[in-house]
Amino acid sequence: MSIEKRMLVRELKLIAARPGDIFKPMWFTLLVISMVPLALAPDSQLLAEIGSAMIWVATLLALLLNTEHLFQSDFSDGVLEQWLFLDRPLAWLVGVKLIAHWLFNVLPLILITPVAGLMLSVSTEVLLALFITLLVATPALTCFSGLGAALTLGSSRSGILGVLVMMPLFVPVVILAAGVLIRATDGSDTLPLLALLGAFSVIAATLVPVAVSAAIRLNIGGSN
Amino acid sequence: MIFAPVKIEISALSCERDDRLLFNNLSVALESGQILRVAGPNGAGKTTLLRTVAGLFGIQDGVIQVNQLPLQECLDQIIYIGHKPQVTKDLTVLDNLKFLTDADEACLQKALDNVGLKGYHDSLVKELSQGQGRRCALARLWCVEAPIWILDEPYTALDVGMAKTLDARINEHVAVGGICLFTTHQPPQQLDYQILELGDVD
Repeated sequence: MSIEKRMLVRELKLIAARPGDIFKPMWFTLLVISMVPLALAPDSQLLAEIGSAMIWVATLLALLLNTEHLFQSDFSDGVLEQWLFLDRPLAWLVGVKLIAHWLFNVLPLILITPVAGLMLSVSTEVLLALFITLLVATPALTCFSGLGAALTLGSSRSGILGVLVMMPLFVPVVILAAGVLIRATDGSDTLPLLALLGAFSVIAATLVPVAVSAAIRLNIGGSN
Repeated sequence: MIFAPVKIEISALSCERDDRLLFNNLSVALESGQILRVAGPNGAGKTTLLRTVAGLFGIQDGVIQVNQLPLQECLDQIIYIGHKPQVTKDLTVLDNLKFLTDADEACLQKALDNVGLKGYHDSLVKELSQGQGRRCALARLWCVEAPIWILDEPYTALDVGMAKTLDARINEHVAVGGICLFTTHQPPQQLDYQILELGDVD
């Protein structure tokens, strides 16, 4: 079996061993969403307007939650340093790991958004736009928070720090996504903004693994 | 199987950590069939030296070459086993081994039997004792083919029987042209090694 396949298989087995890793962020999203109508005045018009944005933000936070420790346990077990001895460039392996993470940990978060949308009475067209925006934007968000996780591997309060460091990179993605949702609500053309979001994800997916591998090397060099 | 001749040349290597000079102007050459034990008191820089030769630490000053090539191009010829567990607790013994090698299943099974983990292939590593976890990490020495072995305290947590098995495996490895670099505080009886003493640098 090639190392890429082995990495995907390992990721699936780890999820089977620690199912909480994917279910906790999913519960988190649904919990946040179910609290929104209770915290607002019971006004279904208002709910429908802000609903899609709430779901977007809740999904973003859940994604940050399950990505902040992406490399942590492999790093402290000494498994991550073994990646350097495999006959593939580290950046390539990091890319495979990020893809596996997106497939198995981030995609489930996106798949539950229709349920969340129903809870907030979001219209079908907007819900569809929301779903597509998340599909297109989350690869970039996964890459950025993965970079945050790799940069802060060596420090003890890594989670919060990694998110803070990467915050500026999340902002343009969130703004573009908000643009798509507003246009979908108006019924105007969302394609140009979606294309921009897609471009963002493609650039992130090509460049970020290189940066992540540099960060990992740096942290391995500083530890015993 | 016999390895092609390998040579590691370490020349004028120096390393400073936290304002302390660990080793200065260190030069060693190692060829196929040689075993080198890096010795010295705690904190002398044994792990640092091993991690530098394994390419995990950047070289501060000096040159390390493998067969006249820069070290970073030859990492796939190295097996490094450090003192971190090097295994994932939530995976089974066999799955841990599978991830790091592309050897076929029969070979992996045999490697695990060799390190005395027969009957534990499908146990999670977290259910094993520390010594058994160590055996799982060491099993790679039986199923990965790489000429250069860098072992940091490989005998830690091993019982007498397993230590002997490991000695035999190291002897077998150098007999077919491999190289072994290791550290330990319990000098093994059955190995014929050179010693590199670290410590006392001014």
